[in-house]
Amino acid sequence: MPKVKMKRTGFVIDMTPLVDITFLLLTFFMFTAKFKSEADNEQKFQIKRPKTQADTAKLPEKDVAVIRIAIDSTRPSDTAYYFSVANPELWMTIKDDPSLAEWLTPERKEASKAMIKTVKIEELETLISVSRTQSKAFNITKKTAADKAQLRFAIDADKRIRFKWIADAMEAMRRTRQTQFNFVTDKQQ
Amino acid sequence: MAGGGELGGGGGRPKRGKHSKRKPKKRLGFRIDMTPLVDITFLLLTFFMFVTTLTTPQVMDMAVPPETEDVEVAESKLFTVRVREDGKIFYNQAKDIPQPIILKELRTKAIKSNLDMKNELITVLKIDENVAYETVVNILDELNLAEIKITQVLQAEKLNRERKFTISPMTDKDKEEIKGL
Repeated sequence: MPKVKMKRTGFVIDMTPLVDITFLLLTFFMFTAKFKSEADNEQKFQIKRPKTQADTAKLPEKDVAVIRIAIDSTRPSDTAYYFSVANPELWMTIKDDPSLAEWLTPERKEASKAMIKTVKIEELETLISVSRTQSKAFNITKKTAADKAQLRFAIDADKRIRFKWIADAMEAMRRTRQTQFNFVTDKQQ
Repeated sequence: MAGGGELGGGGGRPKRGKHSKRKPKKRLGFRIDMTPLVDITFLLLTFFMFVTTLTTPQVMDMAVPPETEDVEVAESKLFTVRVREDGKIFYNQAKDIPQPIILKELRTKAIKSNLDMKNELITVLKIDENVAYETVVNILDELNLAEIKITQVLQAEKLNRERKFTISPMTDKDKEEIKGL
């Protein structure tokens, strides 16, 4: 009896390779995904960074103190400095430093969980010097050399801000002998 | 083989005759419907793809001179770039009269001046307080781009590049010099 080939109405595709690749991509994106930090969560403003071509170095994720300057109200001239440190442990010790106690009142401390808002340049100066000394003290407690990292400073400012704000922050850096720092920029596409 | 859709009728053995005495073979392989699994996986995949921010911010290196006594420098070695309140850029070398320059030309000018003087030239940037930060970064970027070229050329001549650059405050005298230009 000759075989009669049945016409296939449905067909099956081997999905295994597809599933393999999908899982691979899924795990990749799961591991690379970075979620908003506490500081980002508290940030009520958005910074439009200036775009550059020459810069190649990336902003480090830790061991960095960021001074944010943004247009955070309707008046373009009205802004403030927002100081934050990426390492949570270090940040706690900085906030409890006795030299800040004079102006960092409990209410103000409560309001600034992840970043301290200030308009006074003297306050910014103390914050910079306190962060540096605390970071050095913190490094002594670390055992391995890999954990010991120098705290870097970065100014993350909105591109529409007047240069005066930057110049004042730079002057604060100079007075606290923090001669090396960074400007945060975005890649020009 | 694993695949979706049991209903398609891909599987199953063809029926034997009515009087077949052979026992049905024990199934060694089996099939799981993978469609829901693939659905969820794709959903998660797209979710993670959208939440990952691929553009991490970059940093530009900056340095300020430490608080020491003023250093005397020869005026002939100075390449001054001034930015006026309205964003207009002026440059002058040594004691020349400040010349207006557009941002795009600043790079070629900086390259030429620096190469003429080798490592001697000191770039001084003076910016008015009311200039937008974006303008400042754009100028710094142009100078950084010029720096790449300068380093390349000097290296070809077996010279080490030592960059001399500073941002200094704009004085009233500076403002006066570029006022009517």
